[in-house]
Amino acid sequence: MPSKEPPRRRVPGPARSRNAAGGPGRARPAARAEDRRPRRPAAPAKRRGASPQAIRLGSPRPRLRLISLCLTLVMLAFVVRLLQVQAVDANAYTAKAEKNRYLEYTIAAERGEITDRSGISLATSVDAHDITADPKLFTPEDSKAPDAPQQAAALLAPILGKDEAELAKKLSTPKSRYTVLARRQTPQVWKQIKDLKSVFAEKAAEDRAKGGPGANVLAGVLQEPTTRRVYPNGNLAAGILGFVNAEGKGGGGLEAQLNKKLQGEDGKIRYAQAGGRPVPTAGSTEIPAVAGTDVELTIDRDIQWAAQRAIADQVEKSRADRGYVIVQNTRTGEVLAMANAPGYDPNDLAQSNSAALGNAALQDVYEPGSTSKVMSIAAVLEEGAATPDTHVTVPNRLHRGDRLFRDDVDHPTWYLTLNGVLAKSSNIGTILATGQLGKTQPEANKVLYSYLRKFGLGSTTGLDYPGESPGIVAKPQDWSTSQQYTIPFGQGLSLNAMQAASVYQTIANGGVRIEPTLVRGTKDAGGRYTASDAPKRTRVVSEKTAGTLAKMLESVVDDREGTGTKAHIQGYRVAGKTGTANRVDPVRGVYKGYTASFAGFAPADDPQVTVYCAIQNPTEGSYFGGQICGPIYKKVMEFALKTLQTPPSGKAPARLPVSFKPGE
Amino acid sequence: MTRTAEQAKGRAGRLARLMPSGPSTAARTPFVLLVVLLLAGGLISLLLLNSALNEGSFRLSKLKRETTELTDEQQALQRDVDSYSEPDALERRARELGMVPGGSPAFLNPDGTVSGVPERATAQPSTPTALPAPEASVPVPTGQPSPPGPTFPSASPAPSDSPVTPSTAATTPAPTTTGR
Repeated sequence: MPSKEPPRRRVPGPARSRNAAGGPGRARPAARAEDRRPRRPAAPAKRRGASPQAIRLGSPRPRLRLISLCLTLVMLAFVVRLLQVQAVDANAYTAKAEKNRYLEYTIAAERGEITDRSGISLATSVDAHDITADPKLFTPEDSKAPDAPQQAAALLAPILGKDEAELAKKLSTPKSRYTVLARRQTPQVWKQIKDLKSVFAEKAAEDRAKGGPGANVLAGVLQEPTTRRVYPNGNLAAGILGFVNAEGKGGGGLEAQLNKKLQGEDGKIRYAQAGGRPVPTAGSTEIPAVAGTDVELTIDRDIQWAAQRAIADQVEKSRADRGYVIVQNTRTGEVLAMANAPGYDPNDLAQSNSAALGNAALQDVYEPGSTSKVMSIAAVLEEGAATPDTHVTVPNRLHRGDRLFRDDVDHPTWYLTLNGVLAKSSNIGTILATGQLGKTQPEANKVLYSYLRKFGLGSTTGLDYPGESPGIVAKPQDWSTSQQYTIPFGQGLSLNAMQAASVYQTIANGGVRIEPTLVRGTKDAGGRYTASDAPKRTRVVSEKTAGTLAKMLESVVDDREGTGTKAHIQGYRVAGKTGTANRVDPVRGVYKGYTASFAGFAPADDPQVTVYCAIQNPTEGSYFGGQICGPIYKKVMEFALKTLQTPPSGKAPARLPVSFKPGE
Repeated sequence: MTRTAEQAKGRAGRLARLMPSGPSTAARTPFVLLVVLLLAGGLISLLLLNSALNEGSFRLSKLKRETTELTDEQQALQRDVDSYSEPDALERRARELGMVPGGSPAFLNPDGTVSGVPERATAQPSTPTALPAPEASVPVPTGQPSPPGPTFPSASPAPSDSPVTPSTAATTPAPTTTGR
């Protein structure tokens, strides 16, 4: 131990000598370093006295190694992390950054307009605002007013046209941050609210400046931009157009059928943002919205109005369940009007009767009654089984199958021509005439069935309208004993109003059936007009048969004994057929009440317009088709002739004989 | 010791070598001016660019607001127009002016003849069909005031739309009508 002491003492020695030898300034740091090193270990050594080993100096190498190892490890960790961030997970992080850096909005596409045939808007979309509120801002702590919801409700109720108590309840919803006060309000409504808000905000600021609490009861009223579907003509053609649901998609009618075309394609805009504002130098990508296609209907607004007015009045007067009127262009098959009663206002669906939504003229099926006799007579004429002059002796009662058939009135034995059978709408006469269609009854049934199908019964009209019903026409082999005698005069089969109108269009158009159309054309976002495809044409009966039938149908309206005299239009030759059917109660499925109808076309010798009218279950006044639907037919036909500027042909009516003297 | 001195000397020497040798103040001024000018120019152009962008964004938002306002106004006006031109409203207005719906249409031909049967429009607006109905039950075949031949020379050859168009262009509906 003592042997080790001398070197310790020796150390300062040379240092001192070096100190003395070297320059006073330059050597000082080195000397200090020499001084310090021995002194530090020396102090504990002195204190302990007997532990000189502890002062042994460590080599700097391991320390340096340790430090560099630590540094390397840290750097390695950094490098690994860097690689992970920049190379391995780079995409995920870029995406995350992008998400925060870029704002993306959907640009709502404008829904296409629906117009009538002359371009008058029937359905259009306008800007609107959903008025919303943040109930938290109406609490006493936030609004600084004890009864903020009540005050705000009192202010907003007259503007929004809502119940004050209901608004107050919505505004005081606890622990909620969002409530919708009113949907799809006009910009004017929001402007009123905005003005009110700014007035209150100013007042609050003034109050606060004076040291008051600065209560602002309207601070929590907000808005969201949206669009609203508007039907400028209210309930006009509502049945055809349908409506748009809360999501802005077509909920019924043509709005649903043509939804894909009408809705267009939503666009997108994406831009870099800083604090919510776009960064101008960073580029933005925009996919512009493609506006929906405008649809032009074949409907004529004025004729539609006249039809709708006429049927609505009569349905109300007769206390009937329903009524339909269809006006069709005879030459083109275009539907000029399709009216339902009762209707609804698509602008205000909440107030509408849900039973009235829909298009009953296409969706209701019913037994047509006598208006379908025209198909039986067409078959008889076309097959050459009889001519309009063929004599038919009509007894008061006729026993066929398991039933005793009768006409709508009791009568002595009638001596009618085939023309008279149609004019007086004799059921018995029709059964007798259609019996001539085949050698046996089953054969006759088969022939009649083929004609019914050719006239478009039992299959949809070709409009592709949502919810359209094809009606029911059983196959001839399935006809029951009574059915084979009732179908000729329109009971035991069912059709919709459009199919019935189409039957008369076929006869008016010289025996060629044209599929009805509702859409005339479309105009895409670029303004390019595309006409609809030409409708399918099928010949059902020969032109001669159709001409003969038209003359026969004139007797219904023209002849003193005809059933449709109320449909007579001064100066015009009018063809028509009345119908009064026993109606199947849709709820209980038994015959109860009547279906009154009238169908026809004018001018009879050069038909331009076909009008069909039907009223379901009239309970007050007359229930005969000629009495209640005849006047509607006349009113609508007159209006249509005026609107289309169709002059009378000026030729004398055919006046085919109705009856014959039994001796002849 | 000597090493450190040498080192110090070397560093100073290197540093000294970096300094421009000799008094070259004459060449330094334009350089400094250039740098200052560049800096100032850059700053100013950045300022101008920024204010231009801001101005643009202000104008954009102002124009956007204006567009919205004008669109709202246009839509409100369109709504007013629609409410006036709605068929129901037109009918109400026509009745206020003392008009009633006309009966069966009649046409005045260019040669002065009348096709159709003109009749006086009934004043009872609620029951327009009440009056003509009894007449209709008695068919009047001699309603035409002129023989059909001269009345419609073009109607007989073709039953298509073509004869209608020239005649409708020349004729006017005689009774008051709510049709177009």
